[in-house]
Amino acid sequence: MELLDRISSTLQKGEDEQVAELTKQAIDENIPAQDILDNGLIAGMNVIGEQFRKHEIFLPEVLLAAKAMYAGMDLLKPLFIKEKVPTQGKVVIGTVHGDLHDLGKNLVGIMLKGAGFDVIDLGKDVPAEKFVEAAKTEDAGVIGMSALLTTTMPVMKKVVELLKENGLEDAVKTIIGGAPASEDFADEIGVNAYGFDAGKAVELVKELTGKK
Amino acid sequence: MARIHSRKGYKLKQIIDFKIAEINPDGRDVLLHQGIPKGVEVPERIRVLLAEGVDIFRRTAQPKGVIEEVSLNQFENTFVGEGKNIRDVILERIYPKSDHLALYVLTMGEDVSSRIEKMFNEGDYALGSMLDAVASLAADKASEVFEEFYRDYLDSEEKLNPGEFVLSYSPGYCGWHISGQKKLFDRLKPGLIGVTLNDSYLMTPLKSVSGVLVGGNKEIHIFDNNFEYCKECKHESCLDRMKRIQTI
Repeated sequence: MELLDRISSTLQKGEDEQVAELTKQAIDENIPAQDILDNGLIAGMNVIGEQFRKHEIFLPEVLLAAKAMYAGMDLLKPLFIKEKVPTQGKVVIGTVHGDLHDLGKNLVGIMLKGAGFDVIDLGKDVPAEKFVEAAKTEDAGVIGMSALLTTTMPVMKKVVELLKENGLEDAVKTIIGGAPASEDFADEIGVNAYGFDAGKAVELVKELTGKK
Repeated sequence: MARIHSRKGYKLKQIIDFKIAEINPDGRDVLLHQGIPKGVEVPERIRVLLAEGVDIFRRTAQPKGVIEEVSLNQFENTFVGEGKNIRDVILERIYPKSDHLALYVLTMGEDVSSRIEKMFNEGDYALGSMLDAVASLAADKASEVFEEFYRDYLDSEEKLNPGEFVLSYSPGYCGWHISGQKKLFDRLKPGLIGVTLNDSYLMTPLKSVSGVLVGGNKEIHIFDNNFEYCKECKHESCLDRMKRIQTI
């Protein structure tokens, strides 16, 4: 549909005000909210995610697109009140205990939301117990942990151990990211995946939740 | 940067106001921090974001720092912290060979950190992220200004021998546990410049840096980066620093 394509392409340019206008127009034309979301907003973010993964665009352009996505989403949310906002699954994310560096974690959260996931952001300086507790209460399928300081990485291992103690290691998958993390470290502590960057993290979360 | 007020023969202890001009990061470095390699054509909308981020930083940053010289014994106590350091910390091999040590805390101020947080909360991610990058790099640059300041101080006191060099090291990096900040804060009391520490040993405002300035022969700062934690580290800023002092 031409209007939804325009929403998608305008979103890719990061034109938030125009995306809001076009979304409003689509709502006024009685296009189902689910269609606007899937074929306009998420379709646009998927293109952005793919371009970012291929290094065709830069981080600020992803973030401008994300802002445009939310400008449209804000108008759609009231239409999803009866049926909940459709989601690809729930992901709990946070920067681990002892660490306040949350830029990378925020970016992953933004891109996960853009891909249609319901993101529970626990913020920064999050103890291992809180990650597990939130995964349980929110019935989340994935826990995403971020760290910048090398000295805070043991918290990631503790989360894996707590999931095992609670018998949740199969129900709740884990993914880590951040400057000091690596594939080897993820293997060593028994984490399910390591996201080198935000684009990769979204791709891996889709794999972990069977959405890809 | 304020002039040095210390009296000869006394240990340095001072609060310093940084000038924005001396810590303002290079735009190309900010873009690199945002994942944009040097030399590529930067889209206009990103250039606009960069200009806006730099402008907000200039208007909102209130960079300040506090510095205090300490003895080797005093620093030993700070370094051990809560006893949580990794077994083999690079700094543990460096500081005992040093001639001069000074603790420091610096901040870009509360306003800039809360602006970043507000932008993220309001969905203005691109500008928030750009401002975050500007403030982070400015804080790093302020650490370098502190290195220079301490070197100038030692020089003015005729304490700096030829071939001696000052470099900074921070808790949370290279095996020095973040809990080292507790004793550092107990000694420096950086509440005077508006920086506080929470129970997880993390600083508020976020854009703050703490550490120790280590002065000594430049050879003491050179090491092989083959420690256990080096394998996981992607910063590798130690390599740049070592390269820098080796060329001097």
